[in-house]
This record gives sequence, structure tokens and C-alpha cells, in this order.
Amino acid sequence: MAHVPPSLLRIIRAVDAFSDRTGRLVAWCIVPLFAGLTYEVVSRYGFDAPTEWAFDVTYMLYGTHFMLGAAYTLLRGAHIRTDMFYEKFSFRTKGWVDALGYLVFFFPAMVFLFVAGWDAFLVSWRMVERSEISPWRPVIYPFKGVIPLTALLLLVQGVSEFLKSLHMALTGTPYEEKETVLV
Amino acid sequence: MSGEAIGLLMLATLIVTIFVGFPISFTLLVLAVAFGYWGMGRVVFDLMVFQTLGLMKEETLAAVPLFIFMGYILEQSGLMERLFRAFQFILAPVRGSLYVGVILTATIFAMATGIVGAAVTVLGIMAGPIMMKSRYDVRLSAGAIAAGGTLGILIPPSVMLIVMGPVIGVSVVQLYAAAFGPGLLLAGMYIVYTLARSYLDPRLGPALPAEARATSAGQIVREFLVGMLPLGALIFATLGSILAGLATPTEAAAMGATGSLVLTAIYREFTVARFRGAVVKTLTTSSMVLFLAVTSNVFGAVFARLGTATLMTNTLLGLQLPPTAMMVLLMALIFLLGWPFEWPAIVLVFVPIFLPLVQALKFDLILFGTLVAVNLQTAFLSPPVAMSAYYLKSVAPSWELRDIYAGMMQFMVLQVIALLLVVLFPDIALWLPARLFR
Repeated sequence: MAHVPPSLLRIIRAVDAFSDRTGRLVAWCIVPLFAGLTYEVVSRYGFDAPTEWAFDVTYMLYGTHFMLGAAYTLLRGAHIRTDMFYEKFSFRTKGWVDALGYLVFFFPAMVFLFVAGWDAFLVSWRMVERSEISPWRPVIYPFKGVIPLTALLLLVQGVSEFLKSLHMALTGTPYEEKETVLV
Repeated sequence: MSGEAIGLLMLATLIVTIFVGFPISFTLLVLAVAFGYWGMGRVVFDLMVFQTLGLMKEETLAAVPLFIFMGYILEQSGLMERLFRAFQFILAPVRGSLYVGVILTATIFAMATGIVGAAVTVLGIMAGPIMMKSRYDVRLSAGAIAAGGTLGILIPPSVMLIVMGPVIGVSVVQLYAAAFGPGLLLAGMYIVYTLARSYLDPRLGPALPAEARATSAGQIVREFLVGMLPLGALIFATLGSILAGLATPTEAAAMGATGSLVLTAIYREFTVARFRGAVVKTLTTSSMVLFLAVTSNVFGAVFARLGTATLMTNTLLGLQLPPTAMMVLLMALIFLLGWPFEWPAIVLVFVPIFLPLVQALKFDLILFGTLVAVNLQTAFLSPPVAMSAYYLKSVAPSWELRDIYAGMMQFMVLQVIALLLVVLFPDIALWLPARLFR
């Protein structure tokens, strides 16, 4: 049986721990999201005093939440696949399909997203760009920074997932169980 | 090579590679960038960032994580169990009462959550044992649980409809109003079907034995007041404020999340561990749907800019089919797509491809969206890749997978009938929005 060097397993564990921690942190965005909007509605109907920040804060929290959470979602294995054939593959085949998928689809896609997102972020940052869709006009560059950061977090987690798929391809056993979400 | 041809090649490549089984989001993004660069050069990178940011700013979609969160909170609150017990006590003397109890519980719960989530599992755990003990028919039981449990994806506040709104350019509120009719029609058809079967053959669903009934009328009243009223009030406030135009779906979702936390606390079911669990599960579920929304949005924009969408629409229009035939054809296609694909892929990737055709034929977009939603609800019940069957099997191990499928098929037939009814009588969907938003 082929065998996976312990150094690679250490990389997998370290990366997974990192994504697990960042993901669980990002997940808490949901709390200010529902609390802020609840405050806005109560303030609008209860005290006739709508806030001027609710709109911008809402989309910024929502956008940050699901984008930065994409890497954690990858760790949990929750990005949907078409498993009509995949499900019937042997673990070795699954491993090779994934390894190849990471090389051909995943890494190029995330490098593109990072580079393009980073350029857009720099432009926005240099001109201290502000949001034009509300009278509150908050600065928008940190929000634009979410795009390259998302790509970066995904790239990091992708390294671990790529190694896991190699593990599965070579040893014929999965590194871990992934969960499935029923939407 | 012309832009249109590059786009067609992109679509063909997608359809082949998507079946390999790698997560769809990443495949979509890399194909969009690669073929986009071939067809339009460096502009594709700006387009990618522009589309991504556009989706991140779509305030309506903030309702997706909020309704998902509300659902996860309520799932853990034990409310579904209370609801089911209330129905069980009230309906006990009726033949087939547990089927009706399952379906009514599922329907009410569907009005409080936006996704299927653990509904099938929870229903299976709480209703499965008593159905077996009361000698209910395995197939009909499994079918009722699977069909009822998946109503959450159709009945408002369905997350699928929130995602569909921006995709087809219709307000989510209108889609919500339109989905009520078909959703309640389906629930009603399930109830009539199970009642009729139990009436004709009492062995399928006998009246409940004494130990499964309430001990007194007082107990029934108590279960009703404690188990049903508070959740009913929460649903009424959440959905009512959306339909009445008092709050946007996003605001209503936030209020609903707050309300469900309050309910959970009142029932003394709130724990920090459960709260943290709901927070984390909300992240993976919403990120899965919304990240796919981002990448398919980029893919769709490239596809449209290459001009392929227009080419395909003109070709299909050239067939000169009558509009109704075209609609039936489209629905058959979506039904088939529902076999290998889950709803996020269909709503986000395939519906935008058909959309120009639907617009060119001047179909009512609200009706179209509703039909797609009803259609996709059947996908949850179509073997052999119906996830709900596996979930049910894992919590009711003594039920054969074969029987679960046989039960689900019966309900799928009902759904296809419902879909045809909505095509023939569009007022089932359009009556409520017409009344509300004249």
C-alpha cells in the first residue's frame, strides 16, 4: 500500500485547523446581521427613527459572511457536486478525480479570482472609494478586499483538500468523512 | 471562432465536466474565465469582479442566511415534536390520522423555515416509531414523511424562491405570494390521498390505540395552546409582514430569527452549544448556495456577453412551437435536470440559460418561477438520487429502501398532477399576488 509521508499529514492538519478557526469566526457575522436588522425594524416602527446604516451594514455583513465562509464550507465538503456517477466511484477513482479537479479547475480559478480581486481592491483603496448607493456613504474598499481574501482562504484550504485527495487516490481510503447538507 | 460558438463550446464543456463530480462552483468559474478570455480578452477579469461584487451587494439575498438560521434555531427547539403531538391528539380517532399529522406538521414547519434541512430526519425520528407501532403502512408512511418534509423548499419563506427572484428579475414578495397556492394545494392533495387510501383500506392507517391518545380534553387544549399558537403567531408575523409590505423579506427574516430565539428561550430549549451549532451550520449551508450563486452569475454573464444566449433563443423561437407546448417542453427538461442536479444548480445555472426564451415568448415570469419551483420540489422525490430517501433510511433503519422509494413515487405522481393543474389553471398561483398587488 502506498503511504503518505507524515509531513504532508501535518500540513493537512495545520491547514484544516486554520480554516476551522477562521470559519467559526466568520460564522458569527450572522448575529450582528439579524440583531442589526431587528434593531432597524424596531427603531423604524417603534420609534419612527430609521437608522441610516442598516442598509449598508446588511449587505456588507451578508457578503462577508458567505464569501469568507466558502473556505470553511470547502473544509466541511459542503460545496455541491453532481454525484450521479461520483457516488459510485471507488475511493481511488474519487481521489484521482478530485486531485485532477483541484489542479485543473480549482487552483486556476482561485488564482484568477485572487489576482482580479486584488487589482480591484487596490484601485478602490487608493481612491478611498465610498459607497454610492446610500446617503450614509461608508468606505467600500474593505468590502472589496473580501474578494481577494476569499480567494486566498480558499487557496490555502485547497492545498489541504488536494493533499487529502492524493491520500485517497494512493491509499484507497478517505482521509475523513465529509458531511452532506440537504438544502 | 465567433463569440456565439465559443459560448456553445463553453456550455458543452460544462455539461461534460459537471458530471465528473468535482464541486460545481469551481468548475463554473474556471470555464467562465478560460472561455471568456478566449472570446473577449482581458475584460473577462473585470466582468468577474463586477459580477461577484454585484451579488455580494444584493441585499435581498441577505434573507438567505437569515431564513436558514431561523430554520436551524427552530429545528433544535423541539417545536416540531410539540406540533406533531398536538395533531396526534386532535386527530387520533380518525383513520390515517398520523399521515395527516405528519403532513400538517411538515406544512406548518415549512412556513417557518426556508430549506428542507433536517425536516425529513426530524419527522422520521418522531413519527416513524409511532407509525410502526400503530401498524401504519410502511410505503405510505415513508412517502408522507419524505413528501411533507421537502415542502420547505416550496412554501414561503423558501430560500429557493429568494434565490430565484434576482435570477429571473421578479420581486421575491410576488414569488412568495404566488407559491402559497401551489404549496397548499400539494399539502391538501397529500392529505386527501392518504385519507382516501386509509378510508378504503383501514389496515393502511388504523385509528390510534388508547395509549397514543390524549387522556383528557384539557390535554388537547393545552397542547394546542402551548404547541401550536406561539409558532403560528411567529409565522403569521414573519410572512404577514412580508405580504403586507411592512418589511422586506430580509427584514422579516431577521425579525423571524429573533422571534425564533425568543420562542426557544421561552420553551427552555435554548443552550449555548445549540446556538453555536446553528451559527456554524448556517455558514456552510448559505455559503454553499451563495458562492454557487456568485460563480454561476459570472458564468451566466460571460455566456450572455458572448451572444450565445441570443443565438439559442432565436434558434428555439425558429421552431415555431405554440407557447404552451414550449412551456411544457421546458418543464419536462427541468424535470429531467432535477434528476442529476440539485435545485441550486438548476435555478442558478440552467434557469438563466432558458430565461431569454421565456421572456421572448412573453410568459408571465411569476408563473414561470412558480412552475419551476413546483417542478423542482418533485426532484426531491425522484429516485434513484433522492437524498431524502437516504436520510429517512438512516433514521428508520427497519424500513426497506425499496419501500421508501415505492412510497415516494406515489407522492411524486401527485406532484406531477399538481404541476399540470398549475399549468392548466394559472390562477392557483396568480390569484394571491393579483389580489395583493393590484
